[in-house]
Amino acid sequence: MFKAFYKRNKKFFKKYDSIITNNTVLIEGLVIAPVIVGANTFLNGLILAISFMVITFLTVFISSFIPKSIPYTIRVIMYTLIASLIFIPTAIILDKTFPEQIYKVGIFLPLMVTNSLIVTKSETRFFRESKIHMFLDLLNHTIGFFAVIIIVGAIRETLGNNTFMGNPVNIPFKLSILMLPYGGFVLVGFLSALIHKFNSYLKSPIKKEE
Amino acid sequence: MLNTILSGAGQMFGYALVAIFIENTILSRALGTSTSLWTIRKKYSILLFGAVLTIITTVTSALAYALQPFIKSLNNSYYVLPLIYVAIISVVYILMLLITNRLKLKQKKTIRIFIHRCAFNCAVLGGLLLSTQANLSLLGFIGFGIGTGIGFTLATALIDFNHDKLHGEHISKAFRGFPAILIYIGILSLAVYGMIGGHELPI
Repeated sequence: MFKAFYKRNKKFFKKYDSIITNNTVLIEGLVIAPVIVGANTFLNGLILAISFMVITFLTVFISSFIPKSIPYTIRVIMYTLIASLIFIPTAIILDKTFPEQIYKVGIFLPLMVTNSLIVTKSETRFFRESKIHMFLDLLNHTIGFFAVIIIVGAIRETLGNNTFMGNPVNIPFKLSILMLPYGGFVLVGFLSALIHKFNSYLKSPIKKEE
Repeated sequence: MLNTILSGAGQMFGYALVAIFIENTILSRALGTSTSLWTIRKKYSILLFGAVLTIITTVTSALAYALQPFIKSLNNSYYVLPLIYVAIISVVYILMLLITNRLKLKQKKTIRIFIHRCAFNCAVLGGLLLSTQANLSLLGFIGFGIGTGIGFTLATALIDFNHDKLHGEHISKAFRGFPAILIYIGILSLAVYGMIGGHELPI
């Protein structure tokens, strides 16, 4: 049923779906460092997801008003400076909401100011769209990242540390290796393969019984 | 005098080695992975890209060290650190473009593309943040900056070594390309992790 729906709305999915079929992290391969290294617990994932959403969304939206007549070099500098300014209240609010937790994600929180969606995708994709389309596209990209980092953080904490949000979880085995960057690379690799498999299923011809 | 010079060079070399192998920007922190894959996909010269990145990381590191007294005097430096470092990177970015325009270089156009791509790469800002976090000396900052660029180049060359094979027909369709590359980088990352010994990143 979903396959038929996908085939009917293929153009829409291709253009707007950055949550599943064209996921920001798993298919486009963007902003992977925080997911692979930073998100080793659910809470770390949540903090990085919230900061990414706020910083990216506001930066790209504000930057879209910068005139194209300004040279590219200056425009890119302005995007990252805007992101750095938005980072200040975002980090302060996150620090108040999750005390001391923001320091546990290390350098990955400040690194959000130079993420690929702000530095490259804004010019090559978002600013070429109308404001409404850009808004929807940006929302999809950030939700796509949010979903992946939350799932990766939850899986790594549960299976790698046998806890969830710091509370013990009764699992008969412990895959401590998932807490390392190696575990992050392999887990994200497998999740990416899963989405590729799902995409192949969607693109395959519809059989009569389906 | 000679002892001081040798000791300084040794310190710088030591931090460069840490950044190349133990704290490798791609294999230990996944920083700049998408840029690394972009360089390989576009079939650009990895060495030239690495050279441009190394210059940027080294110069920004030296400038970042010069601002350490000011940064340390701030009450909540964590919040403004990205703003200060982005400003430093911006200055180096503009200078690099101006110098490239003035010089008579064979691959001027490619170098300009590389400068645009390198400047706001996570590896550059990440290197500065790591050096600050570790409270390094001037030589430590510079050594770590050089090592970050060389480490990126080395990791990109290692990925490039098997890039085509990981896109080959013998890899199952679901894993072909990006998923297989991530798992391959993961295996390389585990090899680097094995070198740490103490099983804890030094920085």
